[in-house]
Amino acid sequence: MSVFYFVAFLSIFFALMTIFTKNPVHSVLYLVITFFTFTVHYILLNAQFLAVVNFIVYMGAIMVLFLFVLMLLNLNKDTEPLKSNLVKFMGVIAGMCLLVTLAASFRLLQISDPVVLKNPDIGLVSNLGKVLFSDFLLPFEISSILLLTAMVGAVLLAKNDPKKV
Amino acid sequence: MSAIITLSLLAILVLYLGLFKARRALLPVSLLGLVATVVLYGVQWGKTAEPLYSGMVLFDHFAVVFSVVCVILTILVLLLSKDYFDKSSPHVAEYYALLLFSLTGAVLVVSFHNLAMLFIGIEIMSVALYILAGIRKKDFASNEAALKYFLMGAYSTGFLLFGIALLYGASGSFDLAAIKEYVVSNPQGISPLFYAGILLLIVSLAFKLGAAPFHFWTPDVYDGSPILITIFMATVVKTAAIAGFLRLFYFCFIPLQDFWVPVLLVMTIITLFVGNLTAIVQQSVKRMLAYSSISHAGYLLFAIVAIGATSANSVLFYVTAYSLSTIIGFGSLILVKRATGSEHFEAFNGLAKKNPYLSLAIAIAMLSLAGIPLTAGFVGKFMMFSGVLADYQVLLVVLAVINAAMGIFYYFRVIVAMYFKPLDRDAIVVSGPYRVVFFLAALITLLLGVYPAWLTGLI
Amino acid sequence: MELAFVIEKVVLVTLIFVVTLVIAMYSTLAERKVAGFMQDRFGPDRAGPFGILQPLCDGGKFFFKEEIIPAGAHKSLFILGPTIAIITACIGSAVIPWGQSLTIGDRVIELQVTDVNIGVLYMFGVVALGVYGIMLGGWASNNKFSLMGAVRAASQSISYELAMGLALIALLMVTQTLSLKEIVEQQSGFVNWNIWVQPLGFLIFLVCAFAECNRVPFDLPECETELIGGYNLEYSSMKLGLYMFSEYINMFVSSALMATLYFGGYNFPFMYDLGLSQNWITIIGVIVFFAKIFAFIFFFMWIRWTLPRFRYDQLMNLGWKVLIPLAIANIVLTGVITIINDTFF
Repeated sequence: MSVFYFVAFLSIFFALMTIFTKNPVHSVLYLVITFFTFTVHYILLNAQFLAVVNFIVYMGAIMVLFLFVLMLLNLNKDTEPLKSNLVKFMGVIAGMCLLVTLAASFRLLQISDPVVLKNPDIGLVSNLGKVLFSDFLLPFEISSILLLTAMVGAVLLAKNDPKKV
Repeated sequence: MSAIITLSLLAILVLYLGLFKARRALLPVSLLGLVATVVLYGVQWGKTAEPLYSGMVLFDHFAVVFSVVCVILTILVLLLSKDYFDKSSPHVAEYYALLLFSLTGAVLVVSFHNLAMLFIGIEIMSVALYILAGIRKKDFASNEAALKYFLMGAYSTGFLLFGIALLYGASGSFDLAAIKEYVVSNPQGISPLFYAGILLLIVSLAFKLGAAPFHFWTPDVYDGSPILITIFMATVVKTAAIAGFLRLFYFCFIPLQDFWVPVLLVMTIITLFVGNLTAIVQQSVKRMLAYSSISHAGYLLFAIVAIGATSANSVLFYVTAYSLSTIIGFGSLILVKRATGSEHFEAFNGLAKKNPYLSLAIAIAMLSLAGIPLTAGFVGKFMMFSGVLADYQVLLVVLAVINAAMGIFYYFRVIVAMYFKPLDRDAIVVSGPYRVVFFLAALITLLLGVYPAWLTGLI
Repeated sequence: MELAFVIEKVVLVTLIFVVTLVIAMYSTLAERKVAGFMQDRFGPDRAGPFGILQPLCDGGKFFFKEEIIPAGAHKSLFILGPTIAIITACIGSAVIPWGQSLTIGDRVIELQVTDVNIGVLYMFGVVALGVYGIMLGGWASNNKFSLMGAVRAASQSISYELAMGLALIALLMVTQTLSLKEIVEQQSGFVNWNIWVQPLGFLIFLVCAFAECNRVPFDLPECETELIGGYNLEYSSMKLGLYMFSEYINMFVSSALMATLYFGGYNFPFMYDLGLSQNWITIIGVIVFFAKIFAFIFFFMWIRWTLPRFRYDQLMNLGWKVLIPLAIANIVLTGVITIINDTFF
């Protein structure tokens, strides 16, 4: 349990650092560390597959692309758009509303008995695969349409239109 | 289910047609496929529906009717696209394919029986539209629309996922039947997480619907996107969003009515006022229609505030009336913009002299949107109001009537411009498909206004 | 957890670590010797017999060179870059099964640090992480050429990871497990090696491994003629040394991985027919495994002095338009053959 609290603290700490740091590249790096702490959480839950996929996809691919774009943009303080105080103020209020709602609903929760999984190995690859290909077969297959859509769209947006002669 | 498979395969077929440069075949093939989909749905009608694929989708009457509405609206939109896309870019096949993918998503959203399907449906529907909003790559407004829609949409998806996660945490299932079972069997002991989950779901679904205070993207996105895409967003996506919204709440959350109705009530009132007040001051017809679509989202929410057995019918009727009129409104805007290069009210000046039939269709559409008797819009509003009155929400009805009056004001500006502001101008050429679409839409609007029973008994 | 277990693992980890570093060190010498052999000259032969002390001299030189951190560089990230590179290179070897088990007294010692049941994916994650070292180093140097090298490295590595993953999926369809230990155990003998069932997959994997290690003909991130030096342009002293070192370690680990996945790991022909005791089989297995690894390392070097470097667009075309479709075709083919096998035989 203490491991959980430690890792959870790290997650929140680095998530906050992601928001508060000025340099966008630092921000991305803190986000990478935040994702890493999530990976540790998954491992603590014995969800190995999720952990490693989180590791490969988020840390290894998506965040690299983030870093990639930020490095090419070469953002610095001069290019940062000025946000008016009003906008910041509204943002803080809206965020706090959400926080209060969630905190209140969590506060009312009784600490339930520790969840006892029917099958503690549910997070292992083979079990996950069985669930995906039996109960969740349809969403699994349909998500291929989602990916295809995104792929067609990315090519469509990125491709140069041939010049009209 | 066969309909969903048909739609997905159709989109992929269209992609292949684009690969082999069969540009002329694109539209006929797409239309044929969509008609086939409608037929497949028709075959399913009347059979007892069972949840399919371990409870993932359920094609009950609700799902079938709303799916058919979405498909038919898409057919109309595609008819308008006859020579619309050819002018902007060579990748026509991809546009058709993306529209069809988006439709697939919409169909999933109206027929889900598991929150996982709701999520995937909404994502497929939205991702295709993020791209379609930005297909005018050289146009700054189009880029802005795409980026805004994407960022805000991704953000709202976050809310959706978080909400679903909380519901799952409380009830232990994604399945609608299981969640309902959880709500019904623990009237006292519902976890606070569940309530937070409902709130988050309201946020994200209201975003997709374009209801205040989550409407900020709507005007800019509707305004910046190519008009045809705007039509699709304002009709098919809105239909799917409200149907999904209603399906989820009608299925699962009715016992918790006391909790979420006040929230939705406030949102509805804000939506009505924001939409109508800002629509009044607009100078561009496109922006006016965008804001008016926000206010219509408000009217649509009435059905959820007064949720009950009749809600589905009123939503079906209202959304049909609204979509048909919107198609005429935006469709005529395409023609007017092509002729005059402007989207302002002045561009409609004196249209009635040269294009009497087109003007008549526009007038019918505007009257229907404003809710004047003998049009479908009136019956739709009537059903909504009577549903709310039955729930003794008198204040809401009074406010709604005030708003309807405001609506009449700005819809009539178009009619006034067409009929009473003389201006010498050339007649606008209305091509064949446009005539068909406008004629059909105006005719159905009138027929439904006179014989509403054709549609009201369906669900 | 008993003490003996901890000691056993610590010894094993240290041993693997030392072996990895020594092999990486001597790879530098081997590289130059092989170059000499290919070009019909001697290669380094001054320090010790056959130049055997050359790597030590190189290391010493690296340590005593002046260390320069450019004025415009981002200091902490500049240091972090090579650190990440070397760490990710080293942790990859944790899941590789080096041999069967040794029995000493009544203790059975597994020659593998840890047998996680997602070993293959773990390797993949480590590879994916490796690119951070290059990216950060290149960006933190505050030099356009370094940045260019870093960006090239990142896009190259992401592109080839896809094909690599797809090639692996076909393999996993055959093995039906993600644990490297089990994959090796399935390949006992000679005819069971995965190379016989997945030749195309192996070819794709091999090409991708070259690209992931930034070796010729895919060494675009550091191609001297275009980028002066690439992502490590501003680095000097041991930081440069760490980058070069991590490259050689990557080569070693990916050779080990290829040997494990496709060439039977520590298995050798007739291993159970010779009447050897378990310990002897293990020891010979380890030696055989390292022989396979060295063969691959030699292959890496052989290619380096044989093929010229790709142009950047050729590299991307090869990755996206050739390898990925091939890998997908390989998956389909594997699936079809599996189904035919299951139904008819």
